[in-house]
Amino acid sequence: MTQAEPTDLEARLSFARDASSRLRDAIGTVIVGQSDVVDQTLWGLIAGGHVLLEGAPGLGKTLLVRTLASCLDLGFSRIQFTPDLMPSDITGTNVLVTDQTGGVTGRFQLHKGPIFGQVILADEINRATPKTQSALLEAMQEHAVTIAGTRHKLDEPFFVLATENPLEMEGTYPLPEAQLDRFLLKVMVPNPSEDELTGILTRTTGHAMSAPSQVLGSADVLNLRALCRDVAVAEPVVRYAARLVGASSPESAGAPPIVSRAVRYGAGVRGGQSLVLAAKAVALLEGRAHVAFADIQRVALPVLRHRIIRSFEGEADGVTTDDVVRELLSAVPSRPEPVQQAVAAR
Amino acid sequence: MENQGGNEPTQFHDRFERWAGKVRRRMLFSRALTGLAYGLLGGVVVAGGAWWLRQSVLRPWAAALGLVGVVGAVAWATRKRWSDRDVALFLDARLTSDEVISTAVELRSEAERNDPARELVVKQAARKLASSDPRLARPRLLMKRHGIAPLAALAILYFNFIQLPPAPPSPPPPPGAELVQVDELKGLEKIIQLEKLDARDAEQRKRLDAIAKEARKLREDLKNGLEKREALARIAKLRDEIAAEKMAHGDAKNRAGLEAALNKLKQNQKTEGAAKALGEGDLTQFDKEMQKLANQAEQADRDAAKKALEEAAKAAREKGAEDVAKSLEEQKKLFEERSKGAEALRELGKQLGDKLPPGAQKDLQEFGDTGDPAARKRLADALGEALEGMTDAERKQLAENLGKQLEQQGGGAMSPEQMKDLAESLKDPEARKKLAEALKELGQPPGSGDAQREQGLDDAERGGGEAQKGLGAPAPVPGGNPGAGNEPGSKPGAGSGKQPGAGKGAGKNPGKGKGKGGPGSDHDEGEGDHEGSTDRVEGGDLRSKAGTKWNKGGGLHGATLGRSSSSGAGETANQKGSGALGKVAPQEIGGVERSEVPEEYREQVGRYFEP
Repeated sequence: MTQAEPTDLEARLSFARDASSRLRDAIGTVIVGQSDVVDQTLWGLIAGGHVLLEGAPGLGKTLLVRTLASCLDLGFSRIQFTPDLMPSDITGTNVLVTDQTGGVTGRFQLHKGPIFGQVILADEINRATPKTQSALLEAMQEHAVTIAGTRHKLDEPFFVLATENPLEMEGTYPLPEAQLDRFLLKVMVPNPSEDELTGILTRTTGHAMSAPSQVLGSADVLNLRALCRDVAVAEPVVRYAARLVGASSPESAGAPPIVSRAVRYGAGVRGGQSLVLAAKAVALLEGRAHVAFADIQRVALPVLRHRIIRSFEGEADGVTTDDVVRELLSAVPSRPEPVQQAVAAR
Repeated sequence: MENQGGNEPTQFHDRFERWAGKVRRRMLFSRALTGLAYGLLGGVVVAGGAWWLRQSVLRPWAAALGLVGVVGAVAWATRKRWSDRDVALFLDARLTSDEVISTAVELRSEAERNDPARELVVKQAARKLASSDPRLARPRLLMKRHGIAPLAALAILYFNFIQLPPAPPSPPPPPGAELVQVDELKGLEKIIQLEKLDARDAEQRKRLDAIAKEARKLREDLKNGLEKREALARIAKLRDEIAAEKMAHGDAKNRAGLEAALNKLKQNQKTEGAAKALGEGDLTQFDKEMQKLANQAEQADRDAAKKALEEAAKAAREKGAEDVAKSLEEQKKLFEERSKGAEALRELGKQLGDKLPPGAQKDLQEFGDTGDPAARKRLADALGEALEGMTDAERKQLAENLGKQLEQQGGGAMSPEQMKDLAESLKDPEARKKLAEALKELGQPPGSGDAQREQGLDDAERGGGEAQKGLGAPAPVPGGNPGAGNEPGSKPGAGSGKQPGAGKGAGKNPGKGKGKGGPGSDHDEGEGDHEGSTDRVEGGDLRSKAGTKWNKGGGLHGATLGRSSSSGAGETANQKGSGALGKVAPQEIGGVERSEVPEEYREQVGRYFEP
């Protein structure tokens, strides 16, 4: 076999693989366990999307975000969403400038809000009013905010991590489906296992922990994001993603029975884009320049679970969107039928 | 090193083509085997079918279906040949290469030349192909379904070598389909004889000739061979036509005239018997009745009968029944001739006097009283014998007596010429011979034309029955008339009870009888012992035990009624061909008069049924 010289792309892929490894290690110094959550958060970071974290209080969601921000040497802002939070509390506002004597100068000066960070923690985003939520969601989509008629571009990389608490739903404003769609991934933060819990208890009840080391700068993150876009995807893989998205709609001919029964609206085009983009991030973080069917399957749950709207019957039957996505993955073949049969016939 | 890197796409291309070639060849071979299996399976069906249908020639060719299956499968496989993309997906799955080969195949095209990942992906794919074991990427050659092929081949062999099933029994031919070949069928000749029968008119002549011609043609066809059913059908048709001819007097055209003529004949007590015979369509019997009347000695009786005939003919003509009128006129003419002949016999018998044997004397008496044709014949024979047995002197004396009577009475019943001729005849031996022959003829006067026709038609109809019987068909009763005799002899004879105390009944006319059957019964005449031996049945026990079901809605069979129950002219054809309305059976003529309808209502009822 001919051993070729490493290409530039190979070096960059190697760097990406190494960077992800170092990031995991750095986060691991603070966060015990939750490797899937960490991985999925990294997919969102590399793919250039935003991540919605959902989990019970006390599972380390905020800590994870803070730790990530520390590791990345990016500007970190935390917004605690409350019902009385106003949009200007997020975006900032123009204030009248006074001189040293306290006299009014007649000039206005922008006081930037917390959105002008790079890693934004929108804590308990569902507790703010929709008006306030929409101020954040505009920034997420446009990577820019408009204050008093002036558009202000946000610094890149801009990465929002919002958290939701599935408990204490009273007095909350669940995010509309259209806004949920803006999040690349919805990551479910599970309860820690016994071993993980033991580690957490040990680590958090001793002396104060040291801050995690900075692993990547903003330039590195931007490079990784650019590299992510270079990852190649074969047409059958893209088609597979398209079939998955298509089958999630109850009107689709290829929809499995659970979709027809329990789903009102399936994932849209943005869901398909997110599938491919997240799969590229997975491939990149594993050092590959191409996407495999398995990558699509790995990202299907966090990408699609918040884009599928259940029907009344589905809700009544207790069918979760995770159930639907799993059924989609088992019902939709990745390869054409003859190839699938030939592969199976050994 | 850069060159090596630059050659990676080419290397990948070559390697991929080799791998793809292997994959495709194996797929093709596997599909060909599938085609062979299914083809042979079809061959089993064909071989089995050929065996079942006893097509032994087709059985070996069933195996060729296997070849057809292979060809079809190869054609189908070529058409469904896997694309590079499919092969790459297959290789990726088998080599667990995370779709690097598929991605490399996608990036091979010129359009993807600038893709930043192209070089690396292609290189990785080439490495993967180079480092992988080709055995991992072999599509499975033999499937479970391929096991059908040897089993099917064995089954085809089996069907080729086992004995064919026994041939199913051929279905029996339809009844009457067998071919009959008869040189001379008994009975047909009697029908052919109709061409010699004296016809009533030109139209009947034509019909009779047509019947005879058809019978002759049938005879020829039977010589050459004919289906039995067809032959029977043709005979039945001939019989129908013959029966129709017999029914001529009862058809719609003549019916009213016939009824009128019958009324006239019935008005005279002497001609009642003749009227009954005519009413039943029995022209032979009618002729005999008239002959009896002509033979009778009483001039008044003869005149009354003659007058009745004249009036009947007139009445028939008035009703438009020309055929009936002609028949009656012919009968009248014949009646006159017969009367004269009878008178001559009686006169000669008187002249001979004691010269006649005692039996002849008795016959002379009976001939005058009853007009019995048999007595007439016996008398004529006796007269002939008596004349032969006379001496010349006695003959001379007889001739003189005849001459004296001629002088005194002017000939009496005989004309003077007849009387003179008779006297002359007695002198010359040659003339005496002729006289004897003339006496014989007088003893057996010819029948009427209608009677002869009916006789001929009866013979023809009987011939048809014999012909049917000769072909093995159950011969139907010829004619529709019951063969009940109307002479004393047909009446109940003496009955004798077997049970003690039942007594012995005595018939009115025991023993001797002379009956006449209906048409087709051959007019058998004879004497029979009609003494019955019926057990006496007490009146109280005389109950019917019959439990038969009577279909009230349906008519009785045509043979019973004498006519069919058809609803329109020509719609049916029974044996008589009288199925159409407007034609009646002979026994229906005068039915009202014979019925139990009270006298005062008969005319009204008769008008009601008059056509």
